[in-house]
Amino acid sequence: MTTLEATSPNASNAPDPPVDNYLTYTRGVLSWVFTLDHKRIGLMYLVAVLGSFLVGGIFALLVRTELLTPGATIPGVDADVYNQFFTLHGAIMVFLVIIPSIPGALGNFVLPIMLGAKDVAFPRLNLGSFYLWIIGAILAVLSLVYGGFDTGWTFYTPYSTTTSTGGVIPVVTGVFILGFSSIFTGLNFVVTIHKLRPPGMTWFRMPLLLWALYATALIQVLATPVLGITLLMLIVERVFQIGLFDPAMGGDPVLFQHFFWFYSHPAVYIMILPAMGIISEIISVHAHRHIFGYRFIAFSSVAIAIFSFLVWGHHMFTSGQSPLMNVVFSLITFSVAIPSAIKVFNWMATLYRGSISINTPMLYGLGFIFLFTIGGLTGLHLGTLNTDIHLHDTYFVVAHFHYVMMGSALIAMIGGLHHWWPKMVGKMYDEKWGIIGFTLVFIGFNVTFFTQFMLGSHGMPRRYYNYEPEFQIYHVISTIGSYIMAAGFFWTLFYLVQSLFSGAKAPANPWGGRSLEWQCTSPPPHDNFKTTPSVGDCYDFSVVEWDEEEGGYVINRSKVEESSPDH
Amino acid sequence: MANIVSPFEDPERRLAAGRFGMLIFIASLAMIFAGAILGVLVVRLEDEGTWPPPGMPQLPWSLLASTVILVASSATFLRSTRALRREDRPVFVRWLTVTLVLALVFLVVQAYAWWDLLGRGMDFSRHLYAWTFYFLTGLHAVHVLGGVIPLWIVTRRVLRGDLSAPVRRGVAYTAMYWHFLDAAWVVLYLTLIAGTLER
Ligand code: HEM
Ligand SMILES: [Cu+2]
Repeated sequence: MTTLEATSPNASNAPDPPVDNYLTYTRGVLSWVFTLDHKRIGLMYLVAVLGSFLVGGIFALLVRTELLTPGATIPGVDADVYNQFFTLHGAIMVFLVIIPSIPGALGNFVLPIMLGAKDVAFPRLNLGSFYLWIIGAILAVLSLVYGGFDTGWTFYTPYSTTTSTGGVIPVVTGVFILGFSSIFTGLNFVVTIHKLRPPGMTWFRMPLLLWALYATALIQVLATPVLGITLLMLIVERVFQIGLFDPAMGGDPVLFQHFFWFYSHPAVYIMILPAMGIISEIISVHAHRHIFGYRFIAFSSVAIAIFSFLVWGHHMFTSGQSPLMNVVFSLITFSVAIPSAIKVFNWMATLYRGSISINTPMLYGLGFIFLFTIGGLTGLHLGTLNTDIHLHDTYFVVAHFHYVMMGSALIAMIGGLHHWWPKMVGKMYDEKWGIIGFTLVFIGFNVTFFTQFMLGSHGMPRRYYNYEPEFQIYHVISTIGSYIMAAGFFWTLFYLVQSLFSGAKAPANPWGGRSLEWQCTSPPPHDNFKTTPSVGDCYDFSVVEWDEEEGGYVINRSKVEESSPDH
Repeated sequence: MANIVSPFEDPERRLAAGRFGMLIFIASLAMIFAGAILGVLVVRLEDEGTWPPPGMPQLPWSLLASTVILVASSATFLRSTRALRREDRPVFVRWLTVTLVLALVFLVVQAYAWWDLLGRGMDFSRHLYAWTFYFLTGLHAVHVLGGVIPLWIVTRRVLRGDLSAPVRRGVAYTAMYWHFLDAAWVVLYLTLIAGTLER
């Protein structure tokens, strides 16, 4: 065993003093505004991210509704307004929702607890990151007051430096600031994982989510600054009408694309790596089976992080970069599929012969595997030079990245939310309602986006307001799917909020998890652990037993001692 | 105590974590400068003409002066932190003060270079040669400002005799940042010079 005592905090028969949980530890609005508690900061991120998701979602529904008919559909929405809709949708979803969602909200909440630490390494900086996020978000929204922006979320020059929409500078400044929020979160996580592992918590005992967040943090720290400088140059260029990206003055607009994708391809792994980490947790805990191939999963996260810096050119196959570059980028792009596939096979192997609990987190986990497989495989069509020439800038790309960003990253986030919901708020949501919600979201998602693969391969370009009548049937199906999905999300919001008021009280360990966060009370006390948790193999579920009295699982201390001889 | 200000109880470990954090922050900043430099070099290589273009001045000598000053300030900072490690307080305070003065002088010389070039027709919006010069030096100057402020604060507290653990941490982090600024400037300066070479 480790130097830490193995204990089961909830087996002690002294009732928990009801006061010490982080939610009620101190009271009043100011105790939240100035909190340095990673759990509260995580919860504030959660609310902020979900709020942004609602706004981004409304724009998505507007886009889908507009596309119901080949011409104008919504009164008052002309092509220019439509351009602003999809731009806002994309920018909000990428920069305000998916990038901060898992690290900012769930990561902040669980990372220190899973590690066995009291907090992140720099609690003040953590709060600072949150407020940078708020400032960035306000600026992004303020851009609407200045006339919106219609550049697409990618801000390609020279369009972004010349478009007459006045909101470009506020939103780009906002994204610049959001970038620093992301950098500081990453920095905090790297230092926390290096310097705050308690005795016994070795690198290879860390839950895989922590490996994933670590790999993500490396990307956040090294790629995001490049986005920062690029956006800064974009702002300067828009203000002074001269800069490195302006061909009229001797600049190079394709340079912008290189810089942008040098960040934004790694950024897709900022989105997906933490999601994969969550899936590793969900699959093993709810299948009650030791994760298969721990080291492979851990190292593939790091491998993906490294490879992700080398493939940005696959977004630019049609930009006129040299054919040699195209071939090289295409080759390296294929190699990224290897570590991704390793993970998928390991999850499948974990499920094999597991005793699978079909509950909401697990359904989201299984949904992830299905959707990510489709998203990843279609990425290979796009990474293949000759097919990409046809598919580039069509709905095929739109479908691909929704399968990976929404179908995978966001679905994992929602699965994780259900998984840790009892821990975060101390209440159980209603399992039946959760399954209904998942079903709506899953069906709605596939109806919406699978159709778009067909649209795209038939040649429907992306970002178009009008289209040929032959495409209408697909657009209508896709729009109906989006309404089903929206219903699923509203339903989910409803029963989660409802659980706060009338949910059953959550036990410390409702699922049978072995990692440390299941060993503190739900919700956790202010400094995370009342009693020293038992550090061990966090996927060894043989030591976890159902306890009738507790109404949840507990860790059997004597089994821990038997099953883990010192190594 | 309502908040955990730092999860580290041991001051040594807290300092080590802080230094590690600073190192990562510096890596981030290095990516910012690397991006800017790479962009400039690419555009310069694509430009068929000579830099400076006809009608625009050469890089001024004052840049050489400011380079010497900044490198010197890095050296004095090093002397000062070494003295602190030996607990040689008078030497520490002396060299720290000299560093602050040199830092301010550096900013003055940079400002002079801008003013001088503006007067000689180095117009920001006329050519990428000028754009590059102002953008890179400006980017660096902003970062120097971001270093002078904490340097100023710790120096003031040290001059008042405050050598508490937070001040020592402040000195340690500022020093790391300062050496980075120094290195970044040397690379930027070389980039500017490289831009004016024959293609
Ligand atoms: C197996 C892994 C993957 C491969 C091989 C792959 C490949 C590609 C390729 C080649 C493109 C460019 C298509 C074009 O514009 O013509 C693309 C676009 C895109 N991919 Fe992936 N991808 C993969 C995974 C992901 C993941 C995990 C995400 C996000 C979580 C993602 C997000 C995106 C986005 C956002 C775009 C489009 C950006 C835009 O143009 O607006 N991809 N992908
Ligand atoms: Cu990519």
